[in-house]
Amino acid sequence: MVVLKIFEVSPRLRQIFDWIIIVGSVLICLLILPTRLPGTELLGIRPNWLLIWVVVWSVKRTPLQGAIAGIALGLIQDGMTAIDGIDVIDGFDISIPVDVNTPTEAVNTSYPSHIWSLTIVGILTALIDKKRYIQEDFISIALIVFGGAIISETITAAQYSMQDFRDVALVWTEHQRIALSSAVISSLWAPVIYYPLNRWWEFKKEKEQ
Amino acid sequence: MRRWWERYGSRLIFIGLVLGLALFIRRTQGAVVAEIYYQVVRPFHGDTLPEEQWADAKVSELEAKLTEVEGQNAKLQELLKHTQGFAHPTINAPIIGRSVDHWWEQVLLGSGSNDGVQEGYIVTAPGGLVGRIVKVTANTSRVLLISDPTSKVGVKVSRSSGMGYIQGGGKDKGKEKVTMVFYEKVPSVKVGDTIVTSPASYLFLPGIPIGKVESVDLEKSPAPEVIVRLTAPIDFLEWVAIHPFTSQLKDK
Repeated sequence: MVVLKIFEVSPRLRQIFDWIIIVGSVLICLLILPTRLPGTELLGIRPNWLLIWVVVWSVKRTPLQGAIAGIALGLIQDGMTAIDGIDVIDGFDISIPVDVNTPTEAVNTSYPSHIWSLTIVGILTALIDKKRYIQEDFISIALIVFGGAIISETITAAQYSMQDFRDVALVWTEHQRIALSSAVISSLWAPVIYYPLNRWWEFKKEKEQ
Repeated sequence: MRRWWERYGSRLIFIGLVLGLALFIRRTQGAVVAEIYYQVVRPFHGDTLPEEQWADAKVSELEAKLTEVEGQNAKLQELLKHTQGFAHPTINAPIIGRSVDHWWEQVLLGSGSNDGVQEGYIVTAPGGLVGRIVKVTANTSRVLLISDPTSKVGVKVSRSSGMGYIQGGGKDKGKEKVTMVFYEKVPSVKVGDTIVTSPASYLFLPGIPIGKVESVDLEKSPAPEVIVRLTAPIDFLEWVAIHPFTSQLKDK
């Protein structure tokens, strides 16, 4: 418990350690994203770790702070999925019938951004009147994550249906499957991120008062 | 002004720092994260190729190749010159990660520019085509799978040379099935036909096995639709082969 004593004495050290914890926990979430850990898959869908992080972060903060976290993590996740600098191939080859004007092959370069979904979830989480409606425990965090996951997948599906690359009807059938599985599995895993982060932020707040 | 700065200044700097860092990761397409991820998971990946594990898949691939070669021999046409196979030695790479979003079908490989991988290279596995490289860092590369809904690949029916393209995703199809759309109104296709990449393809070499026709719906409007089962078991793969390939796109 010597370590904790140090944090009690020095506010500056506490602040630095807070940043280490914030950056470190985001990094851990980013590194879990591509893995297929046993027990984290439901119908092929894995938890949306970044969404969980944004909810845990925003739950006791202002909407502005929630929005900034959403923008930052959205940018990072976009970077990890986006395909930049690839040409869409239009036109057709002579060996296929002339009256067909469909692209032979194409890679879509416009894609839905994660910034919208994560930012909106961050703001909404911060706006919920927790004192009145929700007590701060695992169950309520799981509930917020559940709702947040559904909102976030709906925003993604809405963005897809505004582009004409995917079949809109299929996007919304996919959406039902993805949103529900993602909401269930994310809310089940939410306490794993919530518990340690919340403990640290509670401790920090206590010392600052 | 000064007091305002003293109060909010450091906070503003931190916000700028966080958003700047996030923007940097966005612009580099997560290269930093991919590299860190590679270093973290490296101890968990062995260096040996599993050999007999996909014997069945290998047989399907050979069958598909044989059908293709027979069809071409029968016709003895100019496309023969396309099917000399992959000229260069291939790079074997382990799959170290899956896509980070449910809406995308991508995998992360444990080989990058250090091993000679470049964007646009073709990725295959026992069974046939898997996808193509879309992003390379020093030790990792990202593959867009042919089962991704945003990927379209020009293909043909090996038996009848009916042309079309395949597109991933869709209702109840999952990762191992793709949709084939024909250019012709009445294509010559039946269940069990072998599908290979077409000579009209810009992004892939012609004649790479892709899958087998599982169901045919000629009534579908506006173009007939066919469901193709991929022969490469993408969901269960641990290793893939990367083939050097320069897209002919730049010439055209």
